[in-house]
Amino acid sequence: MDGARAAVLPKSGVGFDPPPKGTDLIEWYYAKGVSDGFPVAPPTPEKVEATVAALGGNADFLECGVPPRFGGLTREVLAVNMVMAGCLPEYAPVVRAAMLALCDTAFNLNGVQATTHMASPLLVVNGPIRTAIGMNAGCNVFGSGNRANATIGRAVRLILLNVGGGWPGDLDKSTLGHPGKYTYCIAENEEESPLAPYHVACGFKPETSTVFTIAAEPPHSVTNHVANDPEGILDSICSAMSTIAHNNAVSSGHCAVVLGPEHARTIAAAGWKRSDVCSYLWMNAGNLFRKLAFEHRYGKVFNRNLPLWYRRDPDSRIPIVPSPDNIHLFVAGGTAGRFSAFIPGWGHMSAPVIRAIDGAELAEGAVCLDDSCRV
Amino acid sequence: MTERRNHEIVYDPRGVVSVEATPIAPRVSKIAGLRLGVLDNTKWNANKLLRRSMQRLDQEQGFASVTYYRKESFSKVASPELIREIAANNDIVLTAIGD
Amino acid sequence: MHDGINLEKLGLPTAVVVTEAFLHEAEVQRAALGMEGLKPVVITHPLSSLTDAEIDSRVGEAVSQATAVWRGA
Repeated sequence: MDGARAAVLPKSGVGFDPPPKGTDLIEWYYAKGVSDGFPVAPPTPEKVEATVAALGGNADFLECGVPPRFGGLTREVLAVNMVMAGCLPEYAPVVRAAMLALCDTAFNLNGVQATTHMASPLLVVNGPIRTAIGMNAGCNVFGSGNRANATIGRAVRLILLNVGGGWPGDLDKSTLGHPGKYTYCIAENEEESPLAPYHVACGFKPETSTVFTIAAEPPHSVTNHVANDPEGILDSICSAMSTIAHNNAVSSGHCAVVLGPEHARTIAAAGWKRSDVCSYLWMNAGNLFRKLAFEHRYGKVFNRNLPLWYRRDPDSRIPIVPSPDNIHLFVAGGTAGRFSAFIPGWGHMSAPVIRAIDGAELAEGAVCLDDSCRV
Repeated sequence: MTERRNHEIVYDPRGVVSVEATPIAPRVSKIAGLRLGVLDNTKWNANKLLRRSMQRLDQEQGFASVTYYRKESFSKVASPELIREIAANNDIVLTAIGD
Repeated sequence: MHDGINLEKLGLPTAVVVTEAFLHEAEVQRAALGMEGLKPVVITHPLSSLTDAEIDSRVGEAVSQATAVWRGA
């Protein structure tokens, strides 16, 4: 545990005493303990005001409180963290929607910030805003090189640190962490996807932009250069899912699957839709209960974190998640390469949340509350 | 933002924590004869710790009743309905575990 | 601590058990929620993965502190 960090948990952000002209502000902000480890861009009045304007003005408007510290995320504080992350003002609606989704009680951000597990929020953006702000949905989608992906994800993490107080060793108890705690933000590749976009499948209009949030482990790559049918490709993904090692195996909940476009095309060419894919994965992935119970050699295991209705006979097949609806399916990545990814979640303690950006309306038939859908 | 001549303009990214202080409930002078509520947050071994603590306390003190409740999820706040039910039917509460 | 605070607000003295590794988090939570007077019961870490005998030792730690919390000792 970082002793210096533990002693300095401000009760309120009362502002910093400004340093003399000519101070190296990058080093100064490092010394103030507000960095994620990378240099922060020192905010200027012009950049902060432009970002607040992109949020609708009214710098003192309180968007939400961020657990576990419950610091007040005003538009100005949101803008300051965005500028520090390197965001452009036009990214602001995405960052705000992400924070409002994360602070929805269903997400349980308090738990996600504090857990010893490595889960970190993964953001997936849908709709026209992706192209409007230049997000990457294609080649190297989970990697670096794109300002929007990198800095939107980073702004959210800086807010979770600075406003939420989720500092490692202090209120963030994650044993290992993972690189997504620097930034973990992608866009779905709607242009190259043969399937309906994720947000449309949720009930949003295609022209609505949304951000989806799930507490997630890192992606686990799934290689398949052999199969030319849906079952073969999905069997490889099932293999990645069917391990006792990730958190869904022992804590249930939700997970995500990202199909690379080549895999998605093969699957769609056979007439399969989203629900076919998720149902197949749900039906064919799983662990034997005896494996989850370690053959009861440490004592009889029941595991109350798994649904009561699972049979707990030694050779019962335990699903990875309780329903195909708990597998959140996206198409993203480059058009060359037969790869997909399985992304485990944290468990039943958190539900993913999808939120329209700037209060856009849902299409008819969707069932959601105040712009947020608990999927 | 704080601004002074001959100084750099800097910003505090942390946001203000404004809290209304709430006092704890009045304490009890004795334990014996009270109604004990036990709230299990279902984390590993919380149930064993709580059940054995319940038994030991009941042997030592003698409660009017001992009622065991389970949260639906260990990392979520207990539902308002559960909290109200516990408050309506008990005098003191033991809960675990933050680990 | 959230549950303990909610119960205390409804008038019930509540002994909240945390392991020592999570004491700091408990203190920050109660400060963030405005109830600095709520004393947790602190037991040795960890609680998961213990033998029955080790659990009994934690029970001893918990029981004496819980009584003190309820009585304000």
